[in-house]
Amino acid sequence: MTGARQALVLDELRGVLAEVTGRDELRAIPAGTALFGPPVALDSLTGTRLLREVRQRFGVDVAAEDLNLDALATLGTLASFVASRSELPSGRP
Amino acid sequence: MSAPAGPGRLVKCVVWDLDNTLLRGIYLESRPGPPPPDPAMASLLTVLGERGILHAIASRNPPEAARYAAQATGCEFVAAECGWGRKSESLARIAAGLDIGVDALAFVDDDPYERAEVGAALPGVRVLSPEDAAEAVDWPEFSPAEVTPEARRRAGLYQQRQQRLAAERSFGGSREEFLRACGTKVTIARAVPGDVPRLHELSERTSQFNSAGQALSAASLEDLIRSPAQDVMTVRLQDRFADDGLVGGCVVGRDRVWTVPFLMMSCRAIGRGVIDSLLGWLARAAARGGATAVQVPCVLNERNVPLRLALASAGFRADPGQAGPAEALFRHDLAAPLPARPGWVTTPGEL
Repeated sequence: MTGARQALVLDELRGVLAEVTGRDELRAIPAGTALFGPPVALDSLTGTRLLREVRQRFGVDVAAEDLNLDALATLGTLASFVASRSELPSGRP
Repeated sequence: MSAPAGPGRLVKCVVWDLDNTLLRGIYLESRPGPPPPDPAMASLLTVLGERGILHAIASRNPPEAARYAAQATGCEFVAAECGWGRKSESLARIAAGLDIGVDALAFVDDDPYERAEVGAALPGVRVLSPEDAAEAVDWPEFSPAEVTPEARRRAGLYQQRQQRLAAERSFGGSREEFLRACGTKVTIARAVPGDVPRLHELSERTSQFNSAGQALSAASLEDLIRSPAQDVMTVRLQDRFADDGLVGGCVVGRDRVWTVPFLMMSCRAIGRGVIDSLLGWLARAAARGGATAVQVPCVLNERNVPLRLALASAGFRADPGQAGPAEALFRHDLAAPLPARPGWVTTPGEL
Protein backbone atom coordinates (compact mmCIF):
# COMPACT_ATOMS: atom_id res chain seq x y z
CA MET A 1 0.00 0.00 0.00
CA THR A 2 2.86 2.35 0.91
CA GLY A 3 4.39 1.78 -2.50
CA ALA A 4 1.12 2.53 -4.26
CA ARG A 5 0.57 5.67 -2.23
CA GLN A 6 4.13 6.80 -2.93
CA ALA A 7 3.59 6.25 -6.65
CA LEU A 8 0.46 8.43 -6.53
CA VAL A 9 2.31 11.14 -4.66
CA LEU A 10 5.21 10.90 -7.10
CA ASP A 11 2.91 11.37 -10.08
CA GLU A 12 1.28 14.39 -8.51
CA LEU A 13 4.70 15.85 -7.65
CA ARG A 14 5.83 15.47 -11.26
CA GLY A 15 2.87 17.64 -12.29
CA VAL A 16 3.62 20.15 -9.52
CA LEU A 17 7.27 20.37 -10.55
CA ALA A 18 6.31 20.97 -14.19
CA GLU A 19 3.89 23.70 -13.06
CA VAL A 20 6.24 25.55 -10.71
CA THR A 21 9.10 25.51 -13.20
CA GLY A 22 6.93 26.06 -16.28
CA ARG A 23 8.73 23.13 -17.92
CA ASP A 24 6.42 20.43 -19.23
CA GLU A 25 9.26 17.99 -19.97
CA LEU A 26 9.72 17.52 -16.20
CA ARG A 27 6.43 15.54 -16.12
CA ALA A 28 8.45 12.57 -17.36
CA ILE A 29 11.59 12.69 -15.19
CA PRO A 30 12.71 9.52 -13.37
CA ALA A 31 12.22 9.49 -9.60
CA GLY A 32 15.97 9.40 -9.01
CA THR A 33 16.78 12.64 -10.87
CA ALA A 34 18.53 15.21 -8.65
CA LEU A 35 16.47 18.37 -8.12
CA PHE A 36 19.35 20.72 -7.29
CA GLY A 37 21.72 21.13 -10.22
CA PRO A 38 21.05 20.27 -13.85
CA PRO A 39 18.79 19.24 -15.49
CA VAL A 40 16.09 20.38 -13.02
CA ALA A 41 18.20 23.14 -11.39
CA LEU A 42 15.73 23.87 -8.62
CA ASP A 43 16.54 27.31 -7.15
CA SER A 44 15.14 29.40 -4.34
CA LEU A 45 12.28 30.69 -6.52
CA THR A 46 11.11 27.37 -7.97
CA GLY A 47 11.95 25.60 -4.69
CA THR A 48 9.78 28.01 -2.69
CA ARG A 49 6.89 27.47 -5.10
CA LEU A 50 7.35 23.69 -4.90
CA LEU A 51 7.32 23.71 -1.07
CA ARG A 52 4.25 26.00 -1.06
CA GLU A 53 2.35 23.61 -3.36
CA VAL A 54 3.40 20.58 -1.31
CA ARG A 55 2.11 22.26 1.85
CA GLN A 56 -1.19 23.18 0.21
CA ARG A 57 -1.85 19.86 -1.50
CA PHE A 58 -0.49 17.41 1.07
CA GLY A 59 -0.44 19.43 4.30
CA VAL A 60 3.26 18.63 4.76
CA ASP A 61 5.62 21.46 5.78
CA VAL A 62 8.95 20.11 4.54
CA ALA A 63 11.02 23.15 5.65
CA ALA A 64 9.71 22.91 9.22
CA GLU A 65 10.79 19.28 9.59
CA ASP A 66 13.89 19.01 7.44
CA LEU A 67 16.70 21.45 8.33
CA ASN A 68 18.92 20.72 5.32
CA LEU A 69 15.99 20.11 2.95
CA ASP A 70 17.41 16.67 2.20
CA ALA A 71 13.90 15.65 1.14
CA LEU A 72 14.52 17.73 -1.97
CA ALA A 73 17.44 15.54 -3.12
CA THR A 74 15.28 13.86 -5.77
CA LEU A 75 11.60 13.67 -6.64
CA GLY A 76 11.65 10.14 -5.16
CA THR A 77 12.99 11.28 -1.77
CA LEU A 78 10.40 14.07 -1.71
CA ALA A 79 7.61 11.61 -2.56
CA SER A 80 8.59 9.25 0.23
CA PHE A 81 8.93 12.15 2.72
CA VAL A 82 5.46 13.40 1.76
CA ALA A 83 3.82 9.98 1.53
CA SER A 84 4.97 9.00 5.00
CA ARG A 85 3.43 12.14 6.52
CA SER A 86 0.25 12.85 4.59
CA GLU A 87 -3.17 11.51 3.73
CA LEU A 88 -3.87 10.52 0.15
CA PRO A 89 -3.17 13.24 -2.43
CA SER A 90 -5.93 15.80 -2.77
CA GLY A 91 -8.70 15.00 -5.23
CA ARG A 92 -8.06 11.25 -5.13
CA PRO A 93 -10.49 8.80 -3.52
CA MET B 1 -7.79 47.15 12.53
CA SER B 2 -5.39 44.29 13.09
CA ALA B 3 -2.20 44.64 15.08
CA PRO B 4 1.04 44.91 13.14
CA ALA B 5 2.61 41.51 12.44
CA GLY B 6 5.88 42.41 14.03
CA PRO B 7 7.61 45.49 15.32
CA GLY B 8 8.92 47.63 12.53
CA ARG B 9 8.03 45.19 9.76
CA LEU B 10 7.75 47.52 6.81
CA VAL B 11 4.77 47.54 4.50
CA LYS B 12 5.99 47.07 0.94
CA CYS B 13 2.68 47.27 -0.89
CA VAL B 14 -0.72 48.78 -0.05
CA VAL B 15 -3.71 47.05 -1.65
CA TRP B 16 -6.60 49.45 -2.20
CA ASP B 17 -10.31 48.90 -2.60
CA LEU B 18 -11.89 51.29 -5.14
CA ASP B 19 -15.59 51.96 -4.35
CA ASN B 20 -15.90 54.49 -1.52
CA THR B 21 -12.23 54.02 -0.68
CA LEU B 22 -9.89 55.23 -3.41
CA LEU B 23 -12.86 56.60 -5.36
CA ARG B 24 -15.43 58.97 -3.93
CA GLY B 25 -18.46 56.87 -4.88
CA ILE B 26 -19.32 53.62 -6.60
CA TYR B 27 -17.72 53.08 -10.00
CA LEU B 28 -20.60 51.22 -11.65
CA GLU B 29 -23.36 53.41 -10.19
CA SER B 30 -21.89 56.87 -10.50
CA ARG B 31 -23.59 59.22 -12.98
CA PRO B 32 -22.86 60.87 -15.32
CA GLY B 33 -19.25 59.61 -15.26
CA PRO B 34 -17.09 57.52 -12.92
CA PRO B 35 -16.54 59.03 -9.44
CA PRO B 36 -13.47 61.20 -8.83
CA PRO B 37 -10.62 59.96 -6.63
CA ASP B 38 -10.95 60.72 -2.93
CA PRO B 39 -8.50 63.61 -2.43
CA ALA B 40 -7.24 62.39 0.96
CA MET B 41 -6.58 58.87 -0.38
CA ALA B 42 -5.02 60.23 -3.58
CA SER B 43 -2.55 62.28 -1.56
CA LEU B 44 -1.74 59.17 0.53
CA LEU B 45 -0.92 57.35 -2.71
CA THR B 46 1.61 60.04 -3.54
CA VAL B 47 3.14 60.28 -0.06
CA LEU B 48 3.56 56.52 0.30
CA GLY B 49 4.82 56.17 -3.29
CA GLU B 50 7.56 58.69 -2.56
CA ARG B 51 8.63 56.48 0.34
CA GLY B 52 9.10 53.59 -2.06
CA ILE B 53 5.87 51.80 -1.05
CA LEU B 54 4.05 50.08 -3.93
CA HIS B 55 0.32 50.27 -4.65
CA ALA B 56 -2.10 47.62 -5.94
CA ILE B 57 -5.86 47.30 -6.36
CA ALA B 58 -8.35 44.66 -5.16
CA SER B 59 -11.81 45.62 -6.34
CA ARG B 60 -15.23 44.16 -7.11
CA ASN B 61 -15.35 45.99 -10.40
CA PRO B 62 -14.47 45.27 -14.02
CA PRO B 63 -10.79 45.77 -14.96
CA GLU B 64 -11.66 49.11 -16.64
CA ALA B 65 -12.20 50.50 -13.13
CA ALA B 66 -8.56 49.82 -12.22
CA ARG B 67 -7.38 51.48 -15.42
CA TYR B 68 -9.63 54.44 -14.67
CA ALA B 69 -8.22 54.70 -11.09
CA ALA B 70 -4.65 54.69 -12.41
CA GLN B 71 -5.44 57.41 -14.92
CA ALA B 72 -7.52 59.50 -12.49
CA THR B 73 -4.95 59.39 -9.66
CA GLY B 74 -1.85 59.45 -11.87
CA CYS B 75 -0.50 56.59 -9.76
CA GLU B 76 1.23 53.42 -11.00
CA PHE B 77 -0.42 50.28 -9.63
CA VAL B 78 1.84 47.24 -9.77
CA ALA B 79 -1.11 44.79 -9.72
CA ALA B 80 -4.89 44.92 -10.04
CA GLU B 81 -7.20 42.12 -8.94
CA CYS B 82 -10.74 42.72 -10.18
CA GLY B 83 -13.44 40.14 -9.49
CA TRP B 84 -15.86 38.48 -7.11
CA GLY B 85 -13.64 36.03 -5.26
CA ARG B 86 -12.47 36.52 -1.69
CA LYS B 87 -10.28 39.58 -1.27
CA SER B 88 -7.89 37.53 0.88
CA GLU B 89 -7.26 35.39 -2.21
CA SER B 90 -6.71 38.53 -4.29
CA LEU B 91 -4.14 39.71 -1.74
CA ALA B 92 -2.40 36.33 -1.71
CA ARG B 93 -2.15 36.45 -5.52
CA ILE B 94 -0.80 40.00 -5.43
CA ALA B 95 1.89 39.02 -2.89
CA ALA B 96 2.81 35.89 -4.86
CA GLY B 97 3.02 37.90 -8.09
CA LEU B 98 5.42 40.35 -6.46
CA ASP B 99 7.31 37.54 -4.67
CA ILE B 100 6.79 39.24 -1.31
CA GLY B 101 5.19 37.83 1.83
CA VAL B 102 1.54 38.64 2.57
CA ASP B 103 2.75 40.15 5.83
CA ALA B 104 4.42 42.90 3.76
CA LEU B 105 0.95 44.01 2.59
CA ALA B 106 -1.50 46.55 3.97
CA PHE B 107 -5.14 46.52 2.87
CA VAL B 108 -7.46 49.54 2.81
CA ASP B 109 -11.21 49.00 2.37
CA ASP B 110 -14.26 50.91 3.59
CA ASP B 111 -16.31 47.69 3.93
CA PRO B 112 -16.01 46.14 7.42
CA TYR B 113 -16.94 42.72 6.00
CA GLU B 114 -14.03 42.77 3.56
CA ARG B 115 -11.65 43.95 6.28
CA ALA B 116 -12.80 41.16 8.60
CA GLU B 117 -12.46 38.53 5.86
CA VAL B 118 -8.91 39.58 5.01
CA GLY B 119 -7.95 40.00 8.67
CA ALA B 120 -9.18 36.49 9.52
CA ALA B 121 -7.67 34.73 6.50
CA LEU B 122 -4.36 36.61 6.47
CA PRO B 123 -3.54 37.73 10.03
CA GLY B 124 -0.20 39.24 8.96
CA VAL B 125 -1.81 41.88 6.74
CA ARG B 126 -2.27 45.39 8.16
CA VAL B 127 -6.01 45.89 7.62
CA LEU B 128 -7.16 49.50 7.61
CA SER B 129 -10.31 51.54 7.06
CA PRO B 130 -9.78 54.68 4.94
CA GLU B 131 -9.86 56.70 8.19
CA ASP B 132 -7.16 54.45 9.73
CA ALA B 133 -5.08 54.80 6.59
CA ALA B 134 -4.93 58.58 6.93
CA GLU B 135 -3.37 58.12 10.38
CA ALA B 136 -1.26 55.09 9.54
CA VAL B 137 0.89 57.18 7.26
CA ASP B 138 2.86 58.14 10.39
CA TRP B 139 3.21 54.59 11.72
CA PRO B 140 6.70 53.09 11.68
CA GLU B 141 5.71 50.32 9.27
CA PHE B 142 4.92 52.96 6.65
CA SER B 143 7.98 55.04 7.48
CA PRO B 144 11.25 53.63 6.18
CA ALA B 145 14.17 55.39 7.86
CA GLU B 146 15.94 56.04 4.58
CA VAL B 147 14.44 56.60 1.17
CA THR B 148 17.16 55.76 -1.32
CA PRO B 149 17.21 56.30 -5.09
CA GLU B 150 16.44 52.57 -5.44
CA ALA B 151 13.31 53.07 -3.30
CA ARG B 152 12.04 56.00 -5.35
CA ARG B 153 12.49 53.97 -8.54
CA ARG B 154 10.79 50.92 -7.01
CA ALA B 155 7.41 51.12 -8.78
CA GLY B 156 9.23 51.52 -12.10
CA LEU B 157 11.49 48.56 -11.33
CA TYR B 158 8.46 46.40 -10.57
CA GLN B 159 6.95 47.42 -13.91
CA GLN B 160 10.17 46.44 -15.68
CA ARG B 161 9.94 43.20 -13.74
CA GLN B 162 6.41 42.62 -15.14
CA GLN B 163 7.78 43.25 -18.64
CA ARG B 164 10.54 40.70 -17.99
CA LEU B 165 7.96 38.16 -16.77
CA ALA B 166 5.77 38.79 -19.84
CA ALA B 167 8.81 38.36 -22.08
CA GLU B 168 9.63 35.12 -20.25
CA ARG B 169 6.12 33.75 -20.81
CA SER B 170 6.32 34.42 -24.54
CA PHE B 171 9.92 33.18 -24.81
CA GLY B 172 10.19 29.86 -26.63
CA GLY B 173 13.13 28.29 -24.81
CA SER B 174 13.90 27.21 -21.25
CA ARG B 175 14.09 29.59 -18.30
CA GLU B 176 17.87 29.33 -18.31
CA GLU B 177 17.99 30.26 -22.00
CA PHE B 178 15.72 33.18 -21.23
CA LEU B 179 17.92 34.44 -18.39
CA ARG B 180 20.94 34.12 -20.66
CA ALA B 181 19.15 36.11 -23.36
CA CYS B 182 18.42 38.81 -20.75
CA GLY B 183 22.14 39.44 -20.36
CA THR B 184 21.98 39.09 -16.56
CA LYS B 185 24.99 40.74 -14.90
CA VAL B 186 25.77 40.32 -11.19
CA THR B 187 28.54 42.54 -9.81
CA ILE B 188 30.06 41.76 -6.42
CA ALA B 189 32.27 44.45 -4.89
CA ARG B 190 33.50 45.78 -1.55
CA ALA B 191 31.10 48.27 0.00
CA VAL B 192 32.11 51.91 0.23
CA PRO B 193 30.62 54.41 2.73
CA GLY B 194 28.23 55.69 0.04
CA ASP B 195 26.55 52.25 -0.05
CA VAL B 196 25.51 52.44 3.63
CA PRO B 197 22.03 54.02 3.23
CA ARG B 198 20.95 51.43 0.65
CA LEU B 199 22.54 48.53 2.57
CA HIS B 200 20.75 49.64 5.72
CA GLU B 201 17.43 50.00 3.90
CA LEU B 202 17.83 46.59 2.28
CA SER B 203 18.62 45.02 5.67
CA GLU B 204 15.33 46.42 7.00
CA ARG B 205 13.26 45.24 4.05
CA THR B 206 14.63 41.75 3.51
CA SER B 207 13.04 38.75 5.18
CA GLN B 208 13.00 35.89 2.65
CA PHE B 209 16.73 36.33 2.15
CA ASN B 210 18.04 37.60 5.48
CA SER B 211 20.30 35.23 7.38
CA ALA B 212 20.14 37.16 10.66
CA GLY B 213 16.39 37.80 10.66
CA GLN B 214 17.06 41.42 11.56
CA ALA B 215 18.37 44.72 10.22
CA LEU B 216 21.85 46.24 10.46
CA SER B 217 21.98 49.89 11.55
CA ALA B 218 23.77 52.46 9.43
CA ALA B 219 26.22 53.02 12.29
CA SER B 220 27.09 49.31 12.47
CA LEU B 221 27.52 49.15 8.72
CA GLU B 222 29.91 52.11 8.80
CA ASP B 223 31.92 50.45 11.58
CA LEU B 224 32.04 47.17 9.67
CA ILE B 225 33.20 48.88 6.47
CA ARG B 226 36.04 50.56 8.37
CA SER B 227 36.99 47.42 10.29
CA PRO B 228 40.03 45.56 8.96
CA ALA B 229 38.73 42.32 10.48
CA GLN B 230 35.89 41.90 8.02
CA ASP B 231 34.60 42.86 4.61
CA VAL B 232 31.21 44.21 3.69
CA MET B 233 30.31 43.14 0.16
CA THR B 234 27.67 44.56 -2.15
CA VAL B 235 25.80 42.80 -4.95
CA ARG B 236 24.39 44.71 -7.92
CA LEU B 237 22.12 43.36 -10.62
CA GLN B 238 21.48 44.50 -14.16
CA ASP B 239 19.99 43.05 -17.34
CA ARG B 240 18.63 44.40 -20.57
CA PHE B 241 15.28 45.20 -18.96
CA ALA B 242 16.50 47.18 -15.97
CA ASP B 243 19.37 48.25 -13.77
CA ASP B 244 18.15 47.02 -10.39
CA GLY B 245 21.08 48.60 -8.57
CA LEU B 246 22.20 47.31 -5.18
CA VAL B 247 20.10 44.21 -4.42
CA GLY B 248 22.18 42.31 -1.89
CA GLY B 249 25.11 42.22 0.44
CA CYS B 250 26.96 40.34 3.12
CA VAL B 251 29.47 40.74 5.91
CA VAL B 252 32.44 38.38 5.79
CA GLY B 253 35.01 37.59 8.46
CA ARG B 254 38.11 36.12 6.77
CA ASP B 255 39.85 33.56 8.95
CA ARG B 256 40.85 29.92 8.46
CA VAL B 257 37.11 29.49 8.17
CA TRP B 258 35.24 32.36 6.53
CA THR B 259 32.19 33.30 8.58
CA VAL B 260 29.30 35.28 7.16
CA PRO B 261 27.36 36.76 10.10
CA PHE B 262 25.03 38.67 7.80
CA LEU B 263 23.78 37.89 4.31
CA MET B 264 20.81 39.38 2.51
CA MET B 265 19.19 39.81 -0.88
CA SER B 266 16.17 41.75 -2.13
CA CYS B 267 13.27 39.43 -2.92
CA ARG B 268 12.85 41.42 -6.14
CA ALA B 269 16.02 39.66 -7.36
CA ILE B 270 14.67 36.14 -6.68
CA GLY B 271 14.98 33.61 -9.49
CA ARG B 272 17.68 35.51 -11.36
CA GLY B 273 20.78 33.74 -10.10
CA VAL B 274 21.84 36.48 -7.68
CA ILE B 275 21.88 34.55 -4.41
CA ASP B 276 23.48 31.57 -6.16
CA SER B 277 26.16 33.90 -7.56
CA LEU B 278 26.83 35.36 -4.12
CA LEU B 279 27.07 31.98 -2.35
CA GLY B 280 29.25 30.61 -5.16
CA TRP B 281 31.49 33.67 -5.00
CA LEU B 282 31.88 33.26 -1.22
CA ALA B 283 33.01 29.66 -1.61
CA ARG B 284 35.39 30.37 -4.49
CA ALA B 285 36.86 33.50 -2.89
CA ALA B 286 37.35 31.69 0.43
CA ALA B 287 39.07 28.80 -1.36
CA ARG B 288 41.37 31.24 -3.18
CA GLY B 289 42.10 32.89 0.19
CA GLY B 290 43.24 29.56 1.62
CA ALA B 291 40.25 28.99 3.91
CA THR B 292 39.05 25.46 4.66
CA ALA B 293 35.34 26.23 4.87
CA VAL B 294 32.69 28.95 4.65
CA GLN B 295 29.97 29.09 7.26
CA VAL B 296 26.74 31.04 7.40
CA PRO B 297 24.85 31.20 10.71
CA CYS B 298 21.21 31.45 9.74
CA VAL B 299 18.14 32.01 11.88
CA LEU B 300 15.40 29.49 11.16
CA ASN B 301 12.02 31.05 10.54
CA GLU B 302 9.10 30.56 8.19
CA ARG B 303 10.04 33.57 6.15
CA ASN B 304 13.59 32.78 5.13
CA VAL B 305 13.00 29.29 3.73
CA PRO B 306 14.03 30.67 0.29
CA LEU B 307 17.48 31.41 1.73
CA ARG B 308 17.72 27.85 3.10
CA LEU B 309 16.83 26.57 -0.37
CA ALA B 310 19.64 28.64 -1.85
CA LEU B 311 22.09 27.37 0.81
CA ALA B 312 21.06 23.76 0.20
CA SER B 313 21.30 24.24 -3.54
CA ALA B 314 24.84 25.69 -3.19
CA GLY B 315 25.95 22.69 -1.11
CA PHE B 316 25.87 24.28 2.37
CA ARG B 317 24.76 21.96 5.18
CA ALA B 318 23.93 22.40 8.84
CA ASP B 319 24.47 19.82 11.53
CA PRO B 320 20.98 19.13 12.93
CA GLY B 321 22.56 18.15 16.24
CA GLN B 322 24.06 21.62 16.67
CA ALA B 323 20.97 23.50 15.60
CA GLY B 324 19.19 25.37 18.31
CA PRO B 325 15.48 25.78 17.80
CA ALA B 326 16.03 29.16 16.22
CA GLU B 327 19.40 29.12 14.46
CA ALA B 328 21.68 26.78 12.52
CA LEU B 329 25.23 27.04 11.21
CA PHE B 330 25.30 26.22 7.50
CA ARG B 331 28.76 25.20 6.33
CA HIS B 332 30.44 24.50 3.02
CA ASP B 333 33.64 22.47 3.28
CA LEU B 334 35.98 23.81 0.59
CA ALA B 335 37.51 20.39 -0.04
CA ALA B 336 34.10 19.48 -1.51
CA PRO B 337 33.28 20.56 -5.07
CA LEU B 338 32.65 24.31 -5.16
CA PRO B 339 29.29 25.64 -6.33
CA ALA B 340 29.46 26.91 -9.90
CA ARG B 341 28.06 30.28 -10.81
CA PRO B 342 24.88 29.97 -12.90
CA GLY B 343 25.85 29.71 -16.56
CA TRP B 344 23.78 32.73 -17.57
CA VAL B 345 25.34 35.12 -15.08
CA THR B 346 28.40 37.21 -15.76
CA THR B 347 30.31 38.55 -12.75
CA PRO B 348 32.53 41.29 -14.09
CA GLY B 349 35.80 41.81 -12.26
CA GLU B 350 35.27 38.97 -9.78
CA LEU B 351 37.39 39.83 -6.74
